[in-house]
Amino acid sequence: MDAIRLTNVVKKYGPVIAVENLSLSVRAGTMFGFLGPNGSGKSTTIGCMTGLLDPTSGQIELLGEHFDANSTALKRRIGVMPETLGLFEPLYAHEFLAFVARMFGLDETTTRRRVTELLDALELTDTSKTLSEYSTGMRKRVAFAAAVIHSPEVLFLDEPFESIDPAGVSLMKQWLRRFTDQGRTVFITSHVLETVERVCTEVAIITQPGKLVWQGDITALQHNGQKFDSLESLFLHLTGERYADLNWL
Amino acid sequence: MIALLTAGGFAAGIVAIRAGQAEKITQAVLSVLFLQGVLAANILGFGLNAIFSDTELRRYPLDALHRRLASHVIGILDPFWFLFLALEFGLAAGVSVLGAGSFWRGTIAVILLFVCNYLAANVVALFVDRLIKRKGGAAILIVLILALALGPSLAAPIFKKNPTIVPALIERLQYTPPFGAAAAIVHSGMAAVYGLATIVAWILALAALLAALENRAPQRQAAASVGISWDSAYDRAGGLFGPRIGPFVGHWLRFYARNNRTRIMAMISLPLFGFITVRTAGRLGPNGLFIAALGTFPIATFLWTSRIAVNQFGYVGGAFRRYFLLPVESGVILRAASYASVLLGALVLPIVLLAWTIFAPRPSDRQMFPRMLVMLACSGITGLLVFNALGIWITLFNPRRGKYNASFGNDLSLGGNILVVGGVLAAFLLPALLYKAWPAAVSPDSWWIVLPLPLLAAAFYLGTLKAAGPIFTTRREKLLAVVEGKA
Repeated sequence: MDAIRLTNVVKKYGPVIAVENLSLSVRAGTMFGFLGPNGSGKSTTIGCMTGLLDPTSGQIELLGEHFDANSTALKRRIGVMPETLGLFEPLYAHEFLAFVARMFGLDETTTRRRVTELLDALELTDTSKTLSEYSTGMRKRVAFAAAVIHSPEVLFLDEPFESIDPAGVSLMKQWLRRFTDQGRTVFITSHVLETVERVCTEVAIITQPGKLVWQGDITALQHNGQKFDSLESLFLHLTGERYADLNWL
Repeated sequence: MIALLTAGGFAAGIVAIRAGQAEKITQAVLSVLFLQGVLAANILGFGLNAIFSDTELRRYPLDALHRRLASHVIGILDPFWFLFLALEFGLAAGVSVLGAGSFWRGTIAVILLFVCNYLAANVVALFVDRLIKRKGGAAILIVLILALALGPSLAAPIFKKNPTIVPALIERLQYTPPFGAAAAIVHSGMAAVYGLATIVAWILALAALLAALENRAPQRQAAASVGISWDSAYDRAGGLFGPRIGPFVGHWLRFYARNNRTRIMAMISLPLFGFITVRTAGRLGPNGLFIAALGTFPIATFLWTSRIAVNQFGYVGGAFRRYFLLPVESGVILRAASYASVLLGALVLPIVLLAWTIFAPRPSDRQMFPRMLVMLACSGITGLLVFNALGIWITLFNPRRGKYNASFGNDLSLGGNILVVGGVLAAFLLPALLYKAWPAAVSPDSWWIVLPLPLLAAAFYLGTLKAAGPIFTTRREKLLAVVEGKA
């Protein structure tokens, strides 16, 4: 069964095309890497898949059901760590996580237990600081905790590993592997190709404007019969390597 | 607007000369304008530089002096100050046409007063900001505001008993910037030079004070690491709205209550409410205090939450995205934010009604007092609901990205300013106009007239919530672009 299915999705901002006729499917239980250069439409695609943005045309299905901004029942089954993190700055970490948990319908006992466990595991135990006072890495950990607190079936993570220290990344990867082992799906965008190569089982690469140029298994990095020894070399082959000799730099 | 104000000032200058009271009128006009400038800048946030913080300017290769200069040059060029400058310039020009003063000396005096006014407003704003961030600072601020609000009323009987105090006090006022400017505008010779020197001395003193306050980092209240508390008053209050929307309302209550500007406005609005009520009562006949209160009760209920209520999502930044990831309909997001504002505003109503019960003089007819209370409550509820309903429309159609942590500066959109400033003016003027046009409408004798008003306001508020939900869904991408600074 496909956990995510996009059919001819188009997203336009006025005359500007951000996502062009994107069709994609992700099997349940997959750790899926969604890659592309800056401005290629990755975050816009995630925005459409999570209800933040309305696609101009096309169909989105999550967990076998049609999805749009009003699909509140489906939203309960997905977790999202947005690119901008989406944290409420004046709150303390536990207040923010408890708010998210309650909004996802967790009862009070579960809310308190999960918030405490997540804060401990992610080493977010400094209760004297509001989220605005946290470092970027700590803020990222909080956003990750908010995405998983309700134990979703599909998890969207936009650039999850940047700014987090190696121990934190290792812990997150461990959780994500267990997550997919249980048949749940993770959809990750990242520019750290080495991490994606190690973590993901399947990858899609898009180029500007949101155009799918490659999708396949991470163990079979081929394009038009040409084999690639790393995800980076395939990525650069598809998106184009750039050279600029600035003699003043 | 500038031309109109200049012409108005010019006419006032000519009238002052013709009346033979040039110095007194100039002193009074300049003093009122000076105080209005300081108060409007601090209460409404106009004319205070909130565009670049020192931290933002540190990104550029500027030393401390240049950062400070850049910041204040941007601040003083705010059009708000030019409105005052235009009036004062017109006045100086008007006085110089028929009087003994020189046009050029008057112009210099007005420009110096303009600089002095900007510095004074900034010193007060920074002082309030530093004070509110200190432990116990809020209490000190309340005492200061009460002293300022009630001081003139308490001093009036003393002046009546001892009339000799007034000339002595006016003599002391010669050392203030408006009186110095008045001397430079009206007189020639040493008196004018002395007036200019007074303003220059004030500018130097205020600039030094401002520099000292800016150099003095706000004292952070010690934040101890404490255990997590799950039992919060915000969540308990939010719980009144049910399990689906309750956590959201609790979240918004926190958002309001932790905002420095909202807290400052909460402290200012009640003494201000009392001050305005007493000051406007005199012109409204024997029941003046009551008629004035009919206008000021709505102000008390909406003013302190107004900044966020008219721009609900302007201060959440990137967190705006989070709302749409939650499994709730868009209408719930909008409703929860508005309920929090209404709830906080409604909390003020019993306080002001209690204050009225304690402090207001009782009418001779005993039946009148409960009628007055009913009318005041109806007025407060009507203002609260109408304002919050209009705030939702401004939130949707004229939002603006603001800085949640900014303690001063006016970061409301044009629509927000029109609603807040216009709302205050309407609440002021409407009872006075009714008193003149239809006195029965503001008389406790016909108290029943106001009874339908809260019902109509509630219908308008609920209708707004219902209609605004779908609009919020369709406009969310535009709102997102605004609150994230991309539009």
